[in-house]
Amino acid sequence: MPRSRSATAAVALAAVGAVLAGCGSSATPASSGSAPGVAQDPNAPFEVWTRSTEATAKVYTKIFADFEAKTGVKVDYKPIFADFDKQIQQRAASKDLPDLVVTDTGSLGVFTSQGLVGEIDKGSIAGGGDVVERAWNNGKASDGKYYAIPFSTQAMVTLVRKDWREKLGKPVPKTWDDLLDLATAFTKDDPDGNGQADTYGMLVPGTTDRGYLGWWAASYIWQGGGDILKQDGDKFTVAVDSPETVKAVDFLKKSFCADPKLIQPGALTTGTNDAHAFFETGKTGIYETGPYMFGRFDKNLGKDKYEVIAAPKGPAGDTVLGEGENIYLMAGSPRADAQKKLAEYLISAEAQTAGMKGDPTPVVRLPVNSKVDVNAVYNDPRWATTAKVYSDSARPFPSVPNFQPFRQQFSETLNSIFSSCGPDSKGDLGKLAENLKKELQTQGMAK
Amino acid sequence: MTVSNPVRGTTDVGSAASGGGAAGSHPVRRRHRRRLTGSSFTPWLFLAPAVLIFVVFKYVPMVEGIRLSLYQVRPFLGDLWVGLDNYVRILGDERFRDAIGHTLVLAFGQTIGSMVIGFVLALLLEGHAKSLWFVRSAVFLPVVAATAVIGEIWRLLFFPAPEGFINSVLSIVGLGPWTFLDSPDTSLASVMFVGIWKGAPYDMVLILAGLAGIDRQQYEASALDGATTPQRIRHVTLPALRPVITILLTLASIRGLRVFTEVYVLTGGGPAGSTDVWMTRVFTVAFERNEIGVASAGSVMLFLITFALTVVVQLYRRRREAG
Repeated sequence: MPRSRSATAAVALAAVGAVLAGCGSSATPASSGSAPGVAQDPNAPFEVWTRSTEATAKVYTKIFADFEAKTGVKVDYKPIFADFDKQIQQRAASKDLPDLVVTDTGSLGVFTSQGLVGEIDKGSIAGGGDVVERAWNNGKASDGKYYAIPFSTQAMVTLVRKDWREKLGKPVPKTWDDLLDLATAFTKDDPDGNGQADTYGMLVPGTTDRGYLGWWAASYIWQGGGDILKQDGDKFTVAVDSPETVKAVDFLKKSFCADPKLIQPGALTTGTNDAHAFFETGKTGIYETGPYMFGRFDKNLGKDKYEVIAAPKGPAGDTVLGEGENIYLMAGSPRADAQKKLAEYLISAEAQTAGMKGDPTPVVRLPVNSKVDVNAVYNDPRWATTAKVYSDSARPFPSVPNFQPFRQQFSETLNSIFSSCGPDSKGDLGKLAENLKKELQTQGMAK
Repeated sequence: MTVSNPVRGTTDVGSAASGGGAAGSHPVRRRHRRRLTGSSFTPWLFLAPAVLIFVVFKYVPMVEGIRLSLYQVRPFLGDLWVGLDNYVRILGDERFRDAIGHTLVLAFGQTIGSMVIGFVLALLLEGHAKSLWFVRSAVFLPVVAATAVIGEIWRLLFFPAPEGFINSVLSIVGLGPWTFLDSPDTSLASVMFVGIWKGAPYDMVLILAGLAGIDRQQYEASALDGATTPQRIRHVTLPALRPVITILLTLASIRGLRVFTEVYVLTGGGPAGSTDVWMTRVFTVAFERNEIGVASAGSVMLFLITFALTVVVQLYRRRREAG
């Protein structure tokens, strides 16, 4: 008995040791990257994230391989397919951020207000002079300083099922009335000719997740002369309850609440990933989205089946959302030199061109580098349309310190208006305005 | 049990190591624990890996969560002490209060629905025949399938247009099309339906085990006395199942309060926040509004309520067992 007891004790001891060893080894790397502005370590892995699909991840992989061949800096690349912002927040909470990320310009507010990125000395970035000034504005925060380096820009365009439109004998929509008329025809007149009422006019990624609905609706609000926030000097006022905004929201409400609905079923819980499928499988005919979808729709739907047009004009014009993607050099990185080197490479004409030529989906949509010619690289009238829309009609979201909470609440209110179809949009938007005013005050931007 | 244990760890460090309140209060065991030598040492060594993992992955994060709920969390700028402000803010948030309401409705509906259907299934499928064994396994499948997968599949089945799967089935009998997840009026009921569909077979298995423990002679005796089938269920089966039902109620209500995956995959809380529940709201506040402190406050509150609920049920059961 005593012998067996000591044997079991030894086994138990060994088990404890194994667990301790496991914990110990996993704890070490986490602590090395934790302190901000820390000691540099050239041997630390250089972790790079991009908000990508599988298709764009391939393009990035190639660009990073070229970078490694040129500079000898090894990139530990992780494409993130879903929940990018949430994963960044989780890593931030453990104070172990990736070294460099490429993601939406819309993240700038969150990143700066949380201290996840530091200020960038624009002049010290080699090749920064070749970047067009308007693109640099995507990296400028509300305090007028730069916190990110632009990588790609784009404008929202409207995709229309050309074959459906021609079959029904409708013109290319030029105004909101045309748009509504076309959406109604696509819904009621059986454009795919299968004898069933199973097609819908407009495609809307209307979930409140990430504030998508607000993202989609913003262009229409601006076209109607409304706004979410209005700039007034260097401060802002809330414009979400202005008569123009209410009118624009009511215009959108018409399509959601018409009988039959002109929007695809389930729109108000649909995210962008699920939404694309409705267009490429022939369920909906009009889709306001970014030019990054061309490649996928060419492949899955057919290049000849749809056309790319500038947004139909609303009462106040054809303004659309023009954003893009930024390169963020994340705080607490032990590889500051590699961060700068990769950023400089990514804005070079070579990397920008490679990003545009990504097949099937470009990771650089419109180049930020003035030396790259859009028409020469793409040789595609649809991209020429996109470039024209960007230069003539695109605008970004207002540069408050953090626009995210505004977009989130805006989309929650719109979601509720479009699903209840009640008569009082003005009252709901008025309530939202009160909340947005509070948020403006919290961020110190209220007039 | 898993819920009540961690709390003992935070409130009473001494008894946490003894593995539970009941053992700790026993006078003989307590005396035994004082001499930690020889034979009493080995069990502790065996327990150590599990305890260690519990400490690292459960107790430490829990204490950290409680700490964060008192701060405005800014990992790279330094946390700011705000005291109970986070609790005030989350309780003042109208959408959060709505979410609590939805959570209670959902928990109540799913618990009762699963139990009633589970009970009916158990009565139908009780027995030893080979075919019954096969049907029982088939019925049990929803329980073992991954929740995220179930959510995606039901999203497809619920497609709110006339050509959606369920709607096209309904149209055969002249019903529909229904909106399911698409309208605030029907979304919560649709989520509840999926929850019941997934939960009922689990309840069925526990109730089957309970049914197996009922003495057959009681049925025979009541049949001889002229009791009808409903009377037998009412006066023999149900009273005998009381312990099972108590356990099911406890488990289901706790599970109901913590519901997350089904809702997140099915609707993400929409449309118009009509299916937002406690945990999806906490998730949104934490990772979309980036207010980790406020979200932690929400989680701590849920934890306290679950804890209180568990204690009440435990006390109730202990009193019944004693009396």
